[in-house]
Amino acid sequence: MEIELELNGVERTVEASKSDSLLDVLRRNGYTGAKRGCDTGACGFCTVRVDGEPVKSCVKPVTTVQGAAVETIEGLGTQDDLHPVQQAFVDNTALQCGFCIPGMIMRSTALLEENPAPTEQEVREALSDNLCRCTGYKKIVAAVLDAAEQMDDGTAVATDGGPTLNSDSGTTAEIECLRTDCGCMEGDQ
Amino acid sequence: MSDDETAKADGGTASQSEAIEDGRDEEHPLEWDEPENNDKAPDERDSVSHRAEKYDDRKLVTGQAKYTADYEERYPNLAYAAVVRSEIPHGRVTDIDTSAAEAMDGVDAVLTPESDAVPNTKYTSAGQSYPEPSPWDMQVLNEHVRYIGDPIAAVAAEDRATATDAVEAIKVSYEEYDYVTDPEAAFDEDAPQLFEGGEVENEIVGHDYDRNRMSHIGGELGDVDSALGGEAHVHESEWETIRQSHANVEKHTSLAYTNEDDRHVLITSTQVPNHTRRQLAHLFDIPIRDIRVQKPRVGGGFGGKQAMVVEPIPLALSLATDRPVLYEASREEEFYAMRSRHPMTVKAKTAVTDDGDIEAIDLYALSNTGAYGSHGMTVAGNVGSKPMPLYSKVPNARFEADIVHTNTPQTGAMRGYGAPQGTLALEGHLDEVARDLGLDPIEFRRRHHMEVGDLDEIAGMMGGEGANRRIRSCGLDECIERGKAAIGYDDLEQPEEDHLHRGIGMALSAQGTGVAGDELGAAQIMMNEDGSFHLQVGGVDIGTGADTAFLQIAAEVLGCDESDIVVKSSDTDVTPFDYGAYASSTTYISGMAVKKAAEDAKARILDWGSKLLEEPVEELETGDGTVYSEASGKSVTLEDIGYEAAYGDDEREHILGKGTHCTEESPPPFAAQFADVTVDETTGEFDVHKLVVAVDCGVAINPGMAEGQIEGANHMSYEMAVSDGITLDDEGRAEVTDFDEYGLPSATETPPIESILVETHEPTGPFGAKSVAEVPTNTVPPALSNAVRDAVGVRIREMPITAEKIESKLDEREA
Repeated sequence: MEIELELNGVERTVEASKSDSLLDVLRRNGYTGAKRGCDTGACGFCTVRVDGEPVKSCVKPVTTVQGAAVETIEGLGTQDDLHPVQQAFVDNTALQCGFCIPGMIMRSTALLEENPAPTEQEVREALSDNLCRCTGYKKIVAAVLDAAEQMDDGTAVATDGGPTLNSDSGTTAEIECLRTDCGCMEGDQ
Repeated sequence: MSDDETAKADGGTASQSEAIEDGRDEEHPLEWDEPENNDKAPDERDSVSHRAEKYDDRKLVTGQAKYTADYEERYPNLAYAAVVRSEIPHGRVTDIDTSAAEAMDGVDAVLTPESDAVPNTKYTSAGQSYPEPSPWDMQVLNEHVRYIGDPIAAVAAEDRATATDAVEAIKVSYEEYDYVTDPEAAFDEDAPQLFEGGEVENEIVGHDYDRNRMSHIGGELGDVDSALGGEAHVHESEWETIRQSHANVEKHTSLAYTNEDDRHVLITSTQVPNHTRRQLAHLFDIPIRDIRVQKPRVGGGFGGKQAMVVEPIPLALSLATDRPVLYEASREEEFYAMRSRHPMTVKAKTAVTDDGDIEAIDLYALSNTGAYGSHGMTVAGNVGSKPMPLYSKVPNARFEADIVHTNTPQTGAMRGYGAPQGTLALEGHLDEVARDLGLDPIEFRRRHHMEVGDLDEIAGMMGGEGANRRIRSCGLDECIERGKAAIGYDDLEQPEEDHLHRGIGMALSAQGTGVAGDELGAAQIMMNEDGSFHLQVGGVDIGTGADTAFLQIAAEVLGCDESDIVVKSSDTDVTPFDYGAYASSTTYISGMAVKKAAEDAKARILDWGSKLLEEPVEELETGDGTVYSEASGKSVTLEDIGYEAAYGDDEREHILGKGTHCTEESPPPFAAQFADVTVDETTGEFDVHKLVVAVDCGVAINPGMAEGQIEGANHMSYEMAVSDGITLDDEGRAEVTDFDEYGLPSATETPPIESILVETHEPTGPFGAKSVAEVPTNTVPPALSNAVRDAVGVRIREMPITAEKIESKLDEREA
């Protein structure tokens, strides 16, 4: 079947089977920032936003996003032009292995749109569905609070109070390499 | 294996004892021949000690970084693997009916123990040095199954769903055997036996398979029995730890294919690329040179990937199908069929005088290694050899351990590597002794703990992973003082409610920095003509930030910006050899190799600088991307040197630096842990207000990353104190199948953690660094047990600490 959706601000039509989750379809189409951690909605590593809401894409049937606006980490900022939340995670040494981080960041952007000045407890509660094994959460929470402060300074606040989102950054993942040992992966590390 | 090699598989016990006897420990002088450039005051450091941006952060926060499963799209012909696992705790497979699976559309291969592509060689999954100090007791696919989860057959199919369906279509018949899941029962002579005599290759010291004993180890200093039989009071206590899961966020994932040069490539989530290459060569009888192991970004290891856990499966399937094959374990498999921390019972015994002098410490561990013995002996050794050396003033010390098989899931290496189990027992025990004697638990420890200048013979008494060490850096006193201040030790306010009681507990810990005398790291630096560099290093970044630490060390030597260096790590075809990321070795061992490589390159750069500036080399230094002379004020950029070296008229050279590092040293980092808790005496409910942990890791190469390691380690340690871990049913089946059922504390369930970096200078480490990532994993269980004891006077020795257990102890006391 075909699913029509707005993916990071761009109208897209993607092939899917009825049993696919949104995560299956995203990853198959090169949006590998969302990670497969459990397939049961228990870890939050696959968190993306659907019509603004943070959603665990591994348990979101793709049939339910027909016509929806889906935002993934690939649509947020680029390496040269990070979104304030991404920048705050970098500035606060908030990540180690990074596997949970795209989900954490998508969850955090949703929080900060709804609540631009959260307390530490509100940040912890918002992130409590997103697990992390490396950090003990301290620097992640600090990063979200820092991002709230940076965004409050007006650096990246849209008129509706939400953070501006870049359009699809054109992930390099869409470029396929058919050779099995050309070494091109080195550049991606 | 030759006899000599087999003898060494005990971890080197014999040779170590000889070293002590013949006085070679005089080879451990306090003075260390440290290069002048290694000891820099904080204001002299350019890259080191700075919170440099983590090398891979921008890729990680934008979702562009690639983990193993993200390579999927590169291989259009990719097949997906799934594994049939034993559904019974113990027995023999009598039939595997694969006909239905093989008839399914999209199924490419079904492998059983009989298949040609499946090696029947014995091996251990433990990723350790060679000869391997773990027994070769495993096979890739098994007819004799020993736990619910043992692999029996493997499938490759067009997609994940078909692979899973095929696994379900395979019918296995068994002859069921008696089984045993309790380690004490397994030790009984009449217990069901997991291994027959002679079945295991590379057997480990002290094995007795008739009693399911994989190994027995021990060591003694002085005369413990005499001290215990003397006038001093003998105190005894027994402690239990949980079966903790690594709960790596990225599951064990491995992609195998054979390339156009007939070489076998594994892109894999591993801590040990070089060990994995050697182990695969052994298993598949393929020359080491024909195997290439590439580590992409890794989503956490914590010891769970210090092992070749899954790699043979996709490689065998790839050989059978001539296709690239991806195996990504399921989350359920992570909990029942990968690895976990060894659950242990540890008995502590001390002889202490009325005045509070400890005359002897005696520890005994019974370790449940599960169905197989990977890391069994070495982890158990560290139960003694990591925590006991803290009390180097104690004249008599003994440690013994039995490592026992049960029909339960496999265990392995896990952050702390035995030290958490030993630290709980020793730090809990000493706290109780101090309280019995009416002594302040901190002052009691202070009278006995390690300090600079000590010769640590306790770590060396068992040989194996320990060795006599001279202590050249120790910030324990400062750790204790700053930790006390941060937790508010001296001005604790009690709650107003009569039924609430607040208490503080503390615990100390020491770890090692690499396996003493059993490490190797190497690095190479190549200079480009524009003055930039390529750093190739075997060291393995599993999310720890090691690549960034390497860059900071290299930049400090080369006098350039970290961004002028491109790092390539952990690809066995192109990066120099390395033992891998374990034993808290990476910054210290691989980092020192990087420093040596950078110094080697720098010597050539200065030579070219001398030529271009017409100044003697002795007058020159690197800094700010130049070679400069302070005397003359002249300078030349690294770019000018790079172009001149590559394209000069009369002489040309590719500037290359090489470094390789191994050492007998393994300096301990130290931690002082504090926990602040309020307990409700009516219900046993408790609230942990704060965890404080002060760590002496020498010079922190990147303080932000070091804090992150400490905070994450303390979070993992807190889980060990308050969570059930992987619980098992009567048949040894893991009851945890998902994160929902596993007690990984969430953001709201994690108490505030304050990390404190106490800087000392370790002369044997790169720019004074020693390890950081393991020592804070050891300390929360004893500190929290001690805090509960402080608050309401009851002692919880069996982890996890729960309200029910506290309430029950309070009720017992009332009665």
